[in-house]
Amino acid sequence: MSKFRKESKKDAPGVNTSSLPDIVFMLLFFFMVATTSKESDPSVKVTQPEGVRTTDMTPFKQRSEIDFMYIGKPINPARAAKYAEMGMEYMLFMDNVAQSTPDELYNVNAVRRWKLDKFDSKPERMSEPITGVITCIKADEGAPSGLIFDIRNELQEIDALTIAYAVKDNGGI
Amino acid sequence: MAKRDIPEINAGSMADIAFLLLIFFLVTTTMDKDQAYIRNIPKKIEIKDQPPIDVEQRNIFLVKANNRNQLMVRTEVMDNPDDISERVVEFYRTNEQVNDPTNNFPMYSRITMKEIEDNLAQAEADAEATENTPNADQEIIDFKYRVVDEWMNKKRALELYGKKELPEIHPQAHVRIEVQKATEYNLFAKIQSEIEEAVFELRNDASKDIFGESYEIISRRYAMDKDPSDKEKLDLMDILYPDRFIEVTPKK
Repeated sequence: MSKFRKESKKDAPGVNTSSLPDIVFMLLFFFMVATTSKESDPSVKVTQPEGVRTTDMTPFKQRSEIDFMYIGKPINPARAAKYAEMGMEYMLFMDNVAQSTPDELYNVNAVRRWKLDKFDSKPERMSEPITGVITCIKADEGAPSGLIFDIRNELQEIDALTIAYAVKDNGGI
Repeated sequence: MAKRDIPEINAGSMADIAFLLLIFFLVTTTMDKDQAYIRNIPKKIEIKDQPPIDVEQRNIFLVKANNRNQLMVRTEVMDNPDDISERVVEFYRTNEQVNDPTNNFPMYSRITMKEIEDNLAQAEADAEATENTPNADQEIIDFKYRVVDEWMNKKRALELYGKKELPEIHPQAHVRIEVQKATEYNLFAKIQSEIEEAVFELRNDASKDIFGESYEIISRRYAMDKDPSDKEKLDLMDILYPDRFIEVTPKK
C-alpha cells in the first residue's frame, strides 16, 4: 500500500505569469483598434431617441470633420435646479469649449463663434468648405425642437449648411 | 575577472504597465458608434418682396407635430408615428405607373431619350450663348451650366435604367416637416427616422429590380472604394426617388 503514500508536504508551485503582459497587450491593442476616442465629456445628460436607417458618422470622425453639440439637462443637480428656475431646462453644450466659469453653459448666441473657431482650427489638409462641415446635434429625448431650429438658424447665418441629428440606431427592431 | 552572466531584467512589472495603458484607453475611448441623419440647411437668401411660389396640395407630404406631441399627417390626425413610413411610400408610389389626376398624390412625368438629348443640346447652346454675351453675370453662367449637368445626369441615368422612358416625380413634390417649438426631440427624430426608412425602402426595391443588388450594399461599397459605376447607380436612385425634405422653422 505504500504506492499511495501521502507525499511529504510541499509548497504549490507558483503560476508562471511571464505571459501576462502579452495577454494584457493583446487586450490593449484590441481596445485601441475597436474604439474611437471620445470627442468630449458633455456636462449635460443626453438620452438619445431611437431610429432606423441612420448614417454612420465614424468615417468622418476619424478625420475629426464633425463638430458635436449636446442638448440636455445639466448633470449637476444643483445647476439643473437653478436653470430650471430660470425657465431653461435644457441647455446646450458644445465640444472643446473651455467654460470660463464652472457654472456657465452656453446658449445659442455662442454657436456662430464656436463653429467659426472650430473651422479655423482645422488643419490645412481638410480643405472642405464650411458648407460641408457636419455639425452633429446630440439631443436628449425630451429636448424641445425649437432649440434645434434656433441652432439651424445660427448655422445658416455663417453658411455651415450640413447638419446631422444623432439618434441611436435600433436596427429596425 | 571570472566570467559572469548578465543579470536578467526583471519583467514582473511589465504587466502592471500594460494594465495601466489598457485602463487608460478603456476610460478615454468609447465603443458606441455615432449614428445620425444628415440634412442640409437651405442657403440663406435675401428675400425680395416676392410672394412664395404656389405649390399644389398634392405635391406636399405634410407631417405636423404640435406642442403636445400630437401628430398630423396630411389631413389626418395620427396616433402611431410608426405608420408614417407607409404613407410616404404611398405618396411616392400611387401615381408611379399611371397618373390619376383625381387623387391627391404627386404626378409623374415620363421622358424619353430623344427628349433628354434635345433638352441637353438646347441647354448647352443656351449656356454657351450666355457665356459669350458681354457683361454676363457669372452666377447666371454657373446656373446655366448646372442645368446642363442636370440633363447630363438624366441622360446617364436613363442609359443605366435601360427602359424607354425615365419616370420622374413632380419637381415640387416634397416631404415637409412642421413642428412647434416645444415638440419633443423624440418625436422629431421619429419623423426623420420614418421618412428615411420610406425612401430607403423605395430605393432598395428599385435597386434590386434593376441591378439585383440592394441599395444598402451599393451605397456601402461606394463609401469604401468610390467606384464611379456605383456613383451612377446611386444617382439613378436619387433621380427616381429624390429625398426632398423641408424642415419648417417653427414660429411658436
